[in-house]
Amino acid sequence: MNRHKWEPYLWLLPSTLLVSVFVLFPILIVFKLSFSEISQAGVVGGFIGFDNYVEAINLPAFKTVMLNTLWWVLSVVILSTILGFIIALVLNQKFHGRKIARSILVFPWATSLVIQASVWNYIIKYEYGNLNNVLLNLGIIKQAINFRSSYQVEFIWECWVGIFVTVPFVTFCVLSGLQSIDVSLYEAATMDGAGFWHKLRHITLPLVKPSLTVSTVLNIIYVFNSFPIVYTMTKGAPAHKTDTMITYLYMLSFYERKKGPATALSVIGFLILCLCAGIYMMTVMRKEEEL
Amino acid sequence: MKKMFTLLMVLALVLCAVTSVFAEDITLDVIICQYGPNTTNWFERGGDGMFGSNFVEAFEEANPGIKLNLEVVSWNDVHQVVDTRIANGNAPDILNLDTFSEFLPDDLLLPVDEYTTDELFEDFFPAFMEDFYVDGEYWAVPDLASARALYYNVDILEEAGVEVPATWEELEDAAQAIIDYYDGEIYPWGIDMTTDEGQAAFAYYTWGNGGGFTDEDGEWALNSDENVEAIEYAIGLVNAGYTNPNPATQTRYDLQDMFATGKLAMMIGPNQIPTYVEDKGGDINMATASLPANEGETSASVGVKDVMMAFRDDSVEDQDARNEAISAFMTFFYDPENYVGWVSMEDFLPAVNSAVEALVESDPSFAAWLDVLANCKFYPTSKAEWAQVRQGVTTVEQNALTGADVRAELDALQAEITGM
Amino acid sequence: MKRYPEIKKQNLRNTALLLLGLILTLVLMSLPLYTFEIGVYTKKSPNTFVGDEKYIEAKAEAEAAAADYRAQGFDVEVSESVLERTNSKGKTTSLVTFTVNERTGKNFWSFLGKDLPSSKTLTGILILMGLSPVFAAVGLAGSLDLLHRYLDTRSKIFRTLLIAVLLLAILLIPVFILQNNVTFSRQLSLYNAELVTEGKEAFFARLDDFLFDGQMGADISDILSGLKIEHSPLVWLMIPTLFISLLAAFSIRRGEIQSSLLKLCLYVFVIIVCVITLYPYYVMLITAFRSNAESLDMYFLHMFPTKWIWSNLTDIIHRGVPRFLLNSLFVAGGATALAMLCGIPAAYALARMNFKGKKIFLGYVIMSQMFSPVVLLIGISQLMTTLHLNNTLWGLMLINAAFNQAFAIWLLRGTFVSISPEMEQAALIDGCGTIGALTKVLIPMAAPGIVTALIFVFINAWNEYTVATILISTAQYRPITVGITQFSSFNMIEWQYMFAASLLATIPVVILFMFIEKHLTAGLTSGGVKG
Repeated sequence: MNRHKWEPYLWLLPSTLLVSVFVLFPILIVFKLSFSEISQAGVVGGFIGFDNYVEAINLPAFKTVMLNTLWWVLSVVILSTILGFIIALVLNQKFHGRKIARSILVFPWATSLVIQASVWNYIIKYEYGNLNNVLLNLGIIKQAINFRSSYQVEFIWECWVGIFVTVPFVTFCVLSGLQSIDVSLYEAATMDGAGFWHKLRHITLPLVKPSLTVSTVLNIIYVFNSFPIVYTMTKGAPAHKTDTMITYLYMLSFYERKKGPATALSVIGFLILCLCAGIYMMTVMRKEEEL
Repeated sequence: MKKMFTLLMVLALVLCAVTSVFAEDITLDVIICQYGPNTTNWFERGGDGMFGSNFVEAFEEANPGIKLNLEVVSWNDVHQVVDTRIANGNAPDILNLDTFSEFLPDDLLLPVDEYTTDELFEDFFPAFMEDFYVDGEYWAVPDLASARALYYNVDILEEAGVEVPATWEELEDAAQAIIDYYDGEIYPWGIDMTTDEGQAAFAYYTWGNGGGFTDEDGEWALNSDENVEAIEYAIGLVNAGYTNPNPATQTRYDLQDMFATGKLAMMIGPNQIPTYVEDKGGDINMATASLPANEGETSASVGVKDVMMAFRDDSVEDQDARNEAISAFMTFFYDPENYVGWVSMEDFLPAVNSAVEALVESDPSFAAWLDVLANCKFYPTSKAEWAQVRQGVTTVEQNALTGADVRAELDALQAEITGM
Repeated sequence: MKRYPEIKKQNLRNTALLLLGLILTLVLMSLPLYTFEIGVYTKKSPNTFVGDEKYIEAKAEAEAAAADYRAQGFDVEVSESVLERTNSKGKTTSLVTFTVNERTGKNFWSFLGKDLPSSKTLTGILILMGLSPVFAAVGLAGSLDLLHRYLDTRSKIFRTLLIAVLLLAILLIPVFILQNNVTFSRQLSLYNAELVTEGKEAFFARLDDFLFDGQMGADISDILSGLKIEHSPLVWLMIPTLFISLLAAFSIRRGEIQSSLLKLCLYVFVIIVCVITLYPYYVMLITAFRSNAESLDMYFLHMFPTKWIWSNLTDIIHRGVPRFLLNSLFVAGGATALAMLCGIPAAYALARMNFKGKKIFLGYVIMSQMFSPVVLLIGISQLMTTLHLNNTLWGLMLINAAFNQAFAIWLLRGTFVSISPEMEQAALIDGCGTIGALTKVLIPMAAPGIVTALIFVFINAWNEYTVATILISTAQYRPITVGITQFSSFNMIEWQYMFAASLLATIPVVILFMFIEKHLTAGLTSGGVKG
């Protein structure tokens, strides 16, 4: 069992190489670009210090976009975690057709975001959207409803699609956590006369917590970086009021041709995420040391 | 088997292109925008030769020694693709786009006289070429044009008892009459202020009020009184409920779809609308008219023309050979035999005289469009700030839709653009 | 046996309640609960002012029409409305509308025996209601000490049947109301707008029969253009009335009901979740097989295509979609294999060995997830140009593998940690090398976790869009996500082709996921909990 000192590093080598070349290198390029002058066609000039950052923060839409991003990440992550948790609890019960229900729930996870966003965009169109069609045919409404009556509503729809595609991931993370719980724990609690809520709080939640933390952190990263939903459904219209940071910097870069501030913004986003993940890493590491 | 062979050939070819093993063949990177459902098929290798032979193979057959690496990119992605490639020093050789001025400050473009023969140069409509003349050189050539007109549903207007509006006031009256008559079931007027086409709305209303993007000297004049009045008028139409309900996200496709199914009475659109309506199975009785203008102003026709341009590439040793290859491409592309087929397939209007002659010969009614085109106003695409202005006016419109003050917004935009 | 008198008493009360519910329902059904306002004639006259020539002309027309109907024995009245507006420049417009209306009230019984969709529902409600006292009587028979020796053992079934029958009857009432609204307003407006031509005559004949006892004949389609239907709020009283009956049945056995209701709630919840989840796929499916014209179903005609256009599928196959699918398969498959090849050793080292910089490596890999590829486009493209991998599927594959390393390593490491190292140590002692121990012992044991990681990477690579748009320039190399964009061009969005292609892109992944669903949870279990 004697291992050379360098052996672990050899095992890590392929992965490190892959990540360094194809992820780290582009990241470094973006960092460098954020300090460089970039023309509107994309030609890179010399070093200009923090000018790009200053310009980015002073953009008129900056505040709206940051707030939107906050709402977008918070609402999608929190709501899909709650929904996913409830659905997982239900799917963990024994009933006929459970396997089918689980397979169906996997669909949104397995479908490309571009496709999902296009379909929902088509569904909620006022004049010939399918949602109005279905509701009218079922007689639930008598007149077509404008589901996109204001940009606030459109933003809520975008959040809905975000939740729709995120829930399955949470559900399956929680389900996996639930399945690792020893059934005898519940039996003992039932013997002691514990009710549903008591069992949920004192057995289920603590044991599912690791799965939930993991899914939440990953979701924060994925949702923050999510691009196709907003881009397909509104392109940030009207005037960036429905943009999130990622779509905004895309619009900034390729539509408004302010490439310098766009790269600066992407670095700012990266730092925000690093902060979130750093906090997570620290808590997880500390726990592992305790174990 | 033949297909496999072709595929292998393609693979080999691309590898060659990338690694430049065979330096004898000149390879041109060409980016074409996707105008219609058949653009890819018409241009790219492996197309099944609908609407004539596929362009790339025909070109390579006619020009041995020049290979084409031609790519048809959707309008949604084209800026991203081009910009990324420029940033990496990997610009295409020939590019088809709607603007060219953003490439001028970096001196990326090749002047037109380097790659057009005199004969071809003479063939372009002179009025079109004027816009491409900046600092003593021509920088791009027009690839096609379209003219915007007012399309209206004859039956709806007749039923509601209104005439086609010629002035803004008449437009409001007509819209009100249509709303009253149909209990709001039919939208009288279509407005598209989406991120992709907000500049068109700006042009329709400001040009109809004697304003516009620039003043007589060609300087930006975005915040003129005429412009403020025009945009306020357009926003007023939306607020009065005369239009489609979500102008900021309802694209021209949405409007065209509504128009095709009789949900929309009037809209401003390009000359492809009749074809579009037919393709979508619409059965409506439509006619065209000129755009309504404010009282006392003349109606302006709005034209859109897209461009072809060639990029510099200093890494190539034999510049002359490269220019010649580009020239061969242009000559081949604008050859009436190829060009007429393409323009009529896409249902656009041609930008060269030779094509016009050929088209009028086969369809005399086509000449009417050329009169329209001759009187068209175009976007000031030759100005370097055009890309920002285009997004800027869209943002102003979208802000105004959510209640912002038009004058303040336009003042801010003017200050931003001229202060740059 | 001794408790019989008590039970009898309770059951008698229940029987009385049940009968009361039934009687109340029958009374409600005899009240005129629906009113029909039939605009038998409408004349709209634009640009008309009260008193002018056009106005007098239009009014005379309307009066003549009204007189005509009165002569036929209908009670009609003429009403006029004037819409006058002044615009900002002081010009006044006016629209005058004359309508001739007839109002009639109908009770439930008048629906019976008519050939309307709602009539069938109503018949259903009545039959169920008729059945309920029968079931009740039989169910109660045992406790009422009638033939109890014979029937007692079966009474539970009858009680359950009674409850089911009444529940169904209650649920059918809103269906009945909805059906009426749909039939009379929506169907009619579709027929009037000539959007539905099939079965038009039969439909109008039925309406004529129902509203005018068949007197109108061929004129019916002109008359019905302005039909309005209103149901009185009293209709909803049917539900509490029937509920009284239900309560009567309920109190017989309370415990059973509760548990079965809970189960019912569970199923309802699961069904709702599944329906919402499948909804966009339903839209995708039906749109994919519609004709171009029908995809703009602005008048909300049909839930399914009137004609399934299978040629949409052959059309997109003709336009390169199989090629795109193959490209996607190649990229996603290759990326998955590569991600596993690099990820498994790394995860193994992280799980089994102690060395300096372990945390740094983990942090490094997690950090690589922080940037969205959208942001890194310029960097990626520059890198690919340097490596001569632009416009190749290999480049796309490498990028996808690299961007999925973090999740793969995280999941695999968790899986490996959860497996006790004893088996491998035994293998090591038996003389297998580390590689042998890994491939022969650990990997088979960690199969569920590996499958999960595999699928996850595959899905991400399959669905990747942004990097592919800039990396791939030749049509033949496009993956399916980019290939789909060719169906929306400058001139046209072809929804049916776009969704048909989306369907083709979705099906393989979904099938894969369904097969793997069981392993998925198992893999996430071992990976996630220890993560």
